[in-house]
Amino acid sequence: MKKSAPLHKSRRLIHTGNRLLVVVSVLAVCLIVSSTAVAIDGLDKIRQRGTLVWGADQEGGGPFVYPNPNDPTQRIGFEVELAELIAEHIGVKAEFSQGQWDKLPDLLDRGDIDIVLNGYEWTTNRAARYGVSIPYYIYELQLLGRTADGSLAAWEDLLKPVDGQKRKVSVLGGSAAQDYVERFGGDNIEIALFEGATDAMEATELALSGIDANVQDLPIWVFYAKGFSQLRPLGTPVGRGYYVAMTRKSDKDLLKAVNETLVAALQDGRLRRIFEKYGIWNETQTLRGLETDATGSFVGNSVPAADGSGEAVATESYTPSGGWNVIQQRGGLLVRSAGMTVLLSITAMPIAVLIGLLIALARLYGPWYLGKPAAVYVEIVRGTPLVLQLYLIYFLVPKLLDTIFPGMELTINAFAAAVMGLAINYSAYEAEIYRGGIQAIPRGQMEAAISLGMSRSLALRRVIIPQATRLVLPPMTNDFIALFKDTAVCSVITVVELSKQYYIQARSAGAIVELGLLTALLYLAMSYPLSVLSNRLEKNLNQERRA
Amino acid sequence: MIELSNIVKCYQQHEVLRGVSLTVGDGEVCVLLGPSGGGKSTLLRTINGLESFDSGSIRVGDVVLNAAAGPERDAALLQIRKRVGMVFQQFNLFPHRSVLQNITEAPVHVLRQPRDVAVQNARRILARVGMADKENARPGSLSGGQQQRVAIARTLAMNPEAILFDEPTSALDPRTTAEVIGVMSDLAASGQRMIVVTHAMSFARTVAHKVHILHAGRIAESGPPEQIFGNPQESITREFLSEAGERHS
Repeated sequence: MKKSAPLHKSRRLIHTGNRLLVVVSVLAVCLIVSSTAVAIDGLDKIRQRGTLVWGADQEGGGPFVYPNPNDPTQRIGFEVELAELIAEHIGVKAEFSQGQWDKLPDLLDRGDIDIVLNGYEWTTNRAARYGVSIPYYIYELQLLGRTADGSLAAWEDLLKPVDGQKRKVSVLGGSAAQDYVERFGGDNIEIALFEGATDAMEATELALSGIDANVQDLPIWVFYAKGFSQLRPLGTPVGRGYYVAMTRKSDKDLLKAVNETLVAALQDGRLRRIFEKYGIWNETQTLRGLETDATGSFVGNSVPAADGSGEAVATESYTPSGGWNVIQQRGGLLVRSAGMTVLLSITAMPIAVLIGLLIALARLYGPWYLGKPAAVYVEIVRGTPLVLQLYLIYFLVPKLLDTIFPGMELTINAFAAAVMGLAINYSAYEAEIYRGGIQAIPRGQMEAAISLGMSRSLALRRVIIPQATRLVLPPMTNDFIALFKDTAVCSVITVVELSKQYYIQARSAGAIVELGLLTALLYLAMSYPLSVLSNRLEKNLNQERRA
Repeated sequence: MIELSNIVKCYQQHEVLRGVSLTVGDGEVCVLLGPSGGGKSTLLRTINGLESFDSGSIRVGDVVLNAAAGPERDAALLQIRKRVGMVFQQFNLFPHRSVLQNITEAPVHVLRQPRDVAVQNARRILARVGMADKENARPGSLSGGQQQRVAIARTLAMNPEAILFDEPTSALDPRTTAEVIGVMSDLAASGQRMIVVTHAMSFARTVAHKVHILHAGRIAESGPPEQIFGNPQESITREFLSEAGERHS
């Protein structure tokens, strides 16, 4: 039996669809090809390029790497200076590349960076997977409690419940401190995981959610101690371990160069001077026994101060720069990062609209071999989180391209990946909005149009879509506002937009409230005009309906 | 000449059209009458392809429309739709366009007429249906009768060989029905070929050249209105007319 509905699919519609698909594919290819190809092999490439690209996360990164309080557009920190030492040794310039801390090894795999230099602890797993340098710093873990809390004075106290409640300890998620506390306390201690070391200290100081103590890498505590006057160190440091630089396993020459730099800098005291500058030098660092004097003789345990003049004084340390002048100091950076947020949104949204429209048309009017995949596309994209999609595009697409076109070194840069991810994610929502909008147009409209001799695609363009557009504009504007805010997720693939910049600056300045308000204001300034527009469109639509 | 030969159409297991044949000559006004569910509208909509059919064929001038779906049928339909207009019970004007734009839309984008020619023509037709003063109005601001007159004007702008009317007055009150019937009668008088599905008996009685009574998917009786209303041969016709409140003498 034939269907009664007169769905004679016009070839023109399919042709139009094909043409649009071609446009989208070309766009995609442009994005990929225009991206910078930085698959590097070894030291030669680095020398050729003239830069050593090192990856670290400057969010909450003192004393490792953090925005310079005097010029927040620049970075300082002992790892910054270490990177410069290594680059100098190789004979190139050091180039910093921002990446989320836990994603740095992925960036190394992707070829975006040559070396990870960001307080990564030596573990057997990391040593098996990456080239790991000799330790540039020997860290220990410090237990911190509140000054006012007399019930907690030593590690053993953590095992004693208070009023039948387990003690609660805050740590940085995925850090050596977490491992140590788990091994020490087992089931007797409750662990609260944080994404930032300073956040964990802050929560402990304020006793948020019943947190009693914090376990922190010693250098971090030493650096930030001034900012947390209500916290005190308990017992001696424990859990000694190594911070190591990581390279790709294949970059043996680079790893060798890093090791040479470290040994030389430890011997002649350059590394020590750097550590002293940030107040994190201690005798533990001499355990390697590499320190020699000017004549090359090992100096043993009697380590002289670097300048030979007794006690060294740290010149760089954490000073919370709260108050409203922080806005003057760092506001400009936030405004500039808001520019990235705008750029991401206005690039991604039109692509989302285009893909969404094609998907909606394929579902409504396409043959089954277009309609079914379109429906599956919508379900998959809507049913998975944006952050995962971004991650897959950024890290998996280059691998895929490499498999399909081996040797062509095609890759996709972070901005292009962010735009693609946002566009794909929102295209699914747009598609459903358009499908609903088109379905809301009475069937008689299409019948009238084709009865006048219009082809189905002409009828869509002249009659159906213009009417549906009026219906979908308000929800589309809402989606655009949502997209603005969702750009924040792009920081997982190294794009520094407004939110990420806020976290970086707020944590390094200790101005969570001031910069937070400014950030909120900036988002509002961007989305409010759209809100007004959305309301106006809706009002117009209602008036039109009443007419 | 429009010629329907042995049109059969099924909805699932149910036969809605069971082999209908009829011809409409030049300048002829053909009215389809019959009880609801008899297949009148379905038959009308097969002519311009708003409904498919399962067997039989339709000829409009030199274009033949067959049952089998495919590019041939699509091409034939495009031809037929340019030549045969349609007026709907619910008007189906384009609400986002003005009255004038509703009328010029198809001439400009389908027939590729220059816009000024299409506008001139549209104004002439609007005057003909008595809507000259409303060219800038939106359909939503018009009464039902006015909307239907614009819909007729929209069809006329394509200069059709025939117009299909699908219960054009069923959504209207008696006063506006009279407006529309008036326009349709004028058209008939000017020699416009029309196929009309309607319950407006007066129109069938006074304007039609030929009336077909459609019942249960078949033509029960055909003839000039004098015969159908004056001397019906079939019991179905008599039954229908008496239920419709028409007395035959």
